[in-house]
Amino acid sequence: MNPKIPKLQQQQKQEAVEQTGQLRTAREFASVEEMLRDDAAQTSPPPRLAHRVAESIAKEPKPGRSWWQRLFSRRSADL
Amino acid sequence: MAKPVEAESSFVSDNARQAEAVSVSASTPVADGPPSAGDQPKWASPEFGAIYEEHSRQIYYVALRFLGDPTQAEDATHDVFLKAYRKLGEFRGESAMRTWLYRITSNHCRNLLQTWHQRNMVSNADDTLWETAVAAAESPLRVLEIKELGQRIQQTLDGLPPEYRLLLLLVADQQMSYKEIATLTEQSPDAVRGKLHRARKAFIAQFQKFT
Repeated sequence: MNPKIPKLQQQQKQEAVEQTGQLRTAREFASVEEMLRDDAAQTSPPPRLAHRVAESIAKEPKPGRSWWQRLFSRRSADL
Repeated sequence: MAKPVEAESSFVSDNARQAEAVSVSASTPVADGPPSAGDQPKWASPEFGAIYEEHSRQIYYVALRFLGDPTQAEDATHDVFLKAYRKLGEFRGESAMRTWLYRITSNHCRNLLQTWHQRNMVSNADDTLWETAVAAAESPLRVLEIKELGQRIQQTLDGLPPEYRLLLLLVADQQMSYKEIATLTEQSPDAVRGKLHRARKAFIAQFQKFT
């Protein structure tokens, strides 16, 4: 994991808060992003969707392996 | 060598892409009824099942708030994962899986928005969504608050240009940095930062109209 990412995210968060002020609803949110994250946390895909995707995928031909999967399997076979 | 990431990278739509976006939905089988609780889907590929489990919630959320319609968001999420499955062999690992899925999602949703059907469709937003989405354990007051806030957020996002809407939805995902969003939307991180600044201001101005 890139160690710079938490710092970058902290900067992003700071910018978002500074530009937003406070969003007042029944709850207060420090930023637009915080409000959207809360909204996302309350939103789930319908349970039937996973079944639909699984059924559709079962009808598909098996996809080829990616170039990096082929590369690594070849290397491990050579060892 | 084919460049699959680039194939999904442009926001510019053409007729072929529109046709593809619509045709996948049209051929999609729809489940007859809701599966019973604890009824797990049977994945032909357990690895892809794990990808779905990890990313489907966020992909569905972005599709929902971008399109503004729960039924279309469900279809779009289905199609995004089907496309991802078909193109999985072309995924080069140059970006995170989440970023790659967002790229497919944004292209797909933009194509949908540009079709005549979408422009003329009457939305049945939020009522059906909140019947299933809000956790059953929440109090009635809290459920009402969540529903009203969701409707207000949707009305606000609907009033923003699609580009602002997408940038706000992407940056709300804590896994996404400005740099990743910049790569995904094919612009510089500084351009993303500037547009996000304007997008936040526009969101707040629009949000306050719905008090």
